[in-house]
Amino acid sequence: MSPMLEVKDLRGGYGLVKVLHGLDFHVNESEVVVILGANGAGKTTTLRAISGMIQTTGSVKLAGEEINSAKPADIVRKGVAHVPQGRGTFPELSVEDNLTVGAYARKDNEVQADMDKWYEIYPVLFERRTQTAGSLSGGEQQMLAVARALMSRPELVLLDEPSLGLAPLIVEDLFERFAEINKKSGTTLLVVEQNAQLALGIADRAYVLEAGTIAIEGDAADLIDDDTIRKVYLGI
Amino acid sequence: MQLFVQRLFDALANGSTYALVAVALVLIFKATTLVNFAQGELAMLGAFVTLVLAYEQGIPMWLAVFLAMIILGVFAAGVERVLIRPFDPADHLPLVIITLGLFLGINAMAGIVWRFDPRSFPELFPSGNAFTWGSASLRWYTVFTVLTVLVTIGLLQLLLNKTKIGLAFRAVSSNLESSELVGIRVGPTLQFGWALAAAVGTLGAAVYVADPFRQLEPSIMLRVLIFAVSAAALGGLDSLWGALAGGIAIGAIQSLVVPYVPFIPNELGLAAAVVVLMLVLLVRPAGLFGTPAVSRV
Amino acid sequence: MPIKILAGSSQHQLYKVITWSLFALLVAGVAFAYVDVGSISLGENNYNISLIRLNKAIAFAIAILGLQVVAGFTGQLALGQSFFFGMGAYASAWLMADHDWPFLLTFIVVVPLCFVIGIVMGLPALRIQGLYLALVTLGFAAVFPAIVKLDRLFSITNGVGGKATGPDGRKYKLEPPEWLPLDGIAETLQKIPLLGGYFGDGGISSKQEERMWAFMMFTLIAVVCFWMVANLIKSRQGRAMRAVRDNPTGAAVSGIDLARTKAMSFGIASALGGVGGAVYVAEVGLASPDDFTQLLAINFIVGLVVGGVGTLSGAVVGGLVIALVPDWASSTQEVGFLPERWLQGPTGSLILGLLLILLTFFLPGGIVSAARTLKNKIVRIIPRGPNGEVPGGASLATPVTADDTPDEPDSPVDELVGAVD
Repeated sequence: MSPMLEVKDLRGGYGLVKVLHGLDFHVNESEVVVILGANGAGKTTTLRAISGMIQTTGSVKLAGEEINSAKPADIVRKGVAHVPQGRGTFPELSVEDNLTVGAYARKDNEVQADMDKWYEIYPVLFERRTQTAGSLSGGEQQMLAVARALMSRPELVLLDEPSLGLAPLIVEDLFERFAEINKKSGTTLLVVEQNAQLALGIADRAYVLEAGTIAIEGDAADLIDDDTIRKVYLGI
Repeated sequence: MQLFVQRLFDALANGSTYALVAVALVLIFKATTLVNFAQGELAMLGAFVTLVLAYEQGIPMWLAVFLAMIILGVFAAGVERVLIRPFDPADHLPLVIITLGLFLGINAMAGIVWRFDPRSFPELFPSGNAFTWGSASLRWYTVFTVLTVLVTIGLLQLLLNKTKIGLAFRAVSSNLESSELVGIRVGPTLQFGWALAAAVGTLGAAVYVADPFRQLEPSIMLRVLIFAVSAAALGGLDSLWGALAGGIAIGAIQSLVVPYVPFIPNELGLAAAVVVLMLVLLVRPAGLFGTPAVSRV
Repeated sequence: MPIKILAGSSQHQLYKVITWSLFALLVAGVAFAYVDVGSISLGENNYNISLIRLNKAIAFAIAILGLQVVAGFTGQLALGQSFFFGMGAYASAWLMADHDWPFLLTFIVVVPLCFVIGIVMGLPALRIQGLYLALVTLGFAAVFPAIVKLDRLFSITNGVGGKATGPDGRKYKLEPPEWLPLDGIAETLQKIPLLGGYFGDGGISSKQEERMWAFMMFTLIAVVCFWMVANLIKSRQGRAMRAVRDNPTGAAVSGIDLARTKAMSFGIASALGGVGGAVYVAEVGLASPDDFTQLLAINFIVGLVVGGVGTLSGAVVGGLVIALVPDWASSTQEVGFLPERWLQGPTGSLILGLLLILLTFFLPGGIVSAARTLKNKIVRIIPRGPNGEVPGGASLATPVTADDTPDEPDSPVDELVGAVD
């Protein structure tokens, strides 16, 4: 059986600036995989390439199907959700509209049920459902962004630095939630993170990205114990 | 006093028609932060199409207006697809230039096809007065124009707030990139915005020239566009009700303030509108009802 | 392989002298050849390129040069250039007609007047940005005719009828000086074998003399304007302008006074608009309110884009296009397959609109960028390094990449085919 996501020789970037220099990695079904790396290593670019936001060469296969030349709107319909860096909510829209629009690509009648489920998980979103997303705090916006992404009932969720700019307690809570989502529904997660300790804590496997190529790969548990790797790449 | 009331009525009539064109501008600005300089010319084209349908095809007037709105909507959708979509929405200069080119092109085309002699336009609303008080009279035209604007904005609000395409439209105007990431097809959504704007603009031009005191000719919308742009900018360029408020305010300046302030001569209604626009922008760069652009650094 | 000339070398000096001389000869030649009704025939249609059209083109080119300064080089969408064009025209006409000033003297009023009003009207732009500024300035352009039609200004502007440049509604006469024997020169030119026919035959009437003199004088005014702007762009001020255009925040933190730089560019652009207007009214003889509407402002934008945004030579191309295209379009009587009706309306505006759209699509750099590529195939000036060192042989063989610093306007040919970024 082919993995959920299989990336081969991914190259590309922004105009003349090439960021990715031949990436190979894969994510199996129901796995949590984390991509670590310093600023500018190409983590965000990798996620943007997967969800079709930038033009790249190479192969990106979702459950065996090539999606590298597909448009973002079609990739979403194939079951990929992307929580971009800096939340990516719709600041002028109400919380409720943010969740509704998250289910934009769906055609079933259970949108309201899913929304209620998220209101239960994050009661604060229910309290603020008529407020605009722009008026929420950073932590609340990140909850909303995650909930919005999962409203599309994805099979694979791409999370881009979810911990960025959030207080440590909120971050811990958020990562617990990720682990829970993964366990309960078997949703596959691909997380890009600088907070290596937390991310490795919930991950099954990890890749370390360096200057647009995969420098190290291995089980999360092994990486967290390897002293050299800890010092050089993870800074913990 | 009666003169004042009469002018108040004039302000309402003028202001509402400016508001309709302003709403069209706002629809496009909301989605793309682009001011469509060709909006007035598209509306003028719509009025001519209405006239052709009504006179040459013998279609009933209101049906002709409705068909013209659809025709112009389709035309504008085509314009968006061919001339606008190839450009990066974040780079304004080429887009402004394209809309200015459209402005010149459509105006000249209309001049070639229909010539510049004014044509009378059939009345859309009952003639006569709804209400008379001494020398002041409220024309049915004014009543129905105001109603048309209110109904139009009301329907647009419903469309934007209660339908799926409306949600997509608001999402695209709020965050283009995230809209793609939730599966919205951004291009067709913006195209829908263009079509909607052209249809509303067509209605605006038809209502404007349906005033028995006005006639239709290809440069009819040049002045109206300036008033409408001022109205839209006063209202903040991204708010529908703001466009209405801006339209009424500009109408009021034109027919109330200018005649009463001795040092502003009458002919300067246009200038007064531009000056007010400038002053408002100086104090509130996002307009009176606009959402100030918040950028987190 | 293009001819390569090293900047500052003796060949370079010679190149400059030759190209400038050719330019002067061209101006004189055009003046004599097209004084009456020079025309090009295509099929049944005659296209007029008489000096009347060329003089208008010069006026437009100067106004577009102003737009280049404010929109092209400083990046401010102040698009209401027709306002200052009209103001310059009226001020100049009023001084000539009511105060008996000679034409050239009116510039000492027109230039400071437009400069100051440009700065005053530009002040809001320090707060209003981008599209909003475009809206406000186009609004002002639309308002100009209403202002000059005001009853209160009737004694100066003569209302709807328009202001003539001479007394009693006549045209101000630009008489050539005594020392310039235009008549004699014409006769000499006519004696040139083969080419002589282009310069007409027989003597030159006083009217023709006036027209030639006007053309030469306007050309000179334009050359002075272009020379000053070329130097401005190279100066510290010009670098500040381009910095404001490319990255306002970066410019501000580098110590550039944003407000001052923007205000200066508004002032200079408006002054150039005024100069253009003064030239225009001297040619036309009448400043008429409805000549200066927002449509003229939009035509100037067409000129800006068609020539090439951010190029000085683009202003010349733009001026020619917006002066000649509408005129030629209306003098076209027959084009094979097109129904006649299509040629009897505002066909010129239609062509300008189409040109605007097509160029934005296919030639975003305008006509100048295309011409520049062509010129680089023939002659290439190799710039010296910052300390005057001569680039090595290897670099002479490799193509010189365009950098952001404008080259010196070496010659009118460079001017025309683009020396400045």
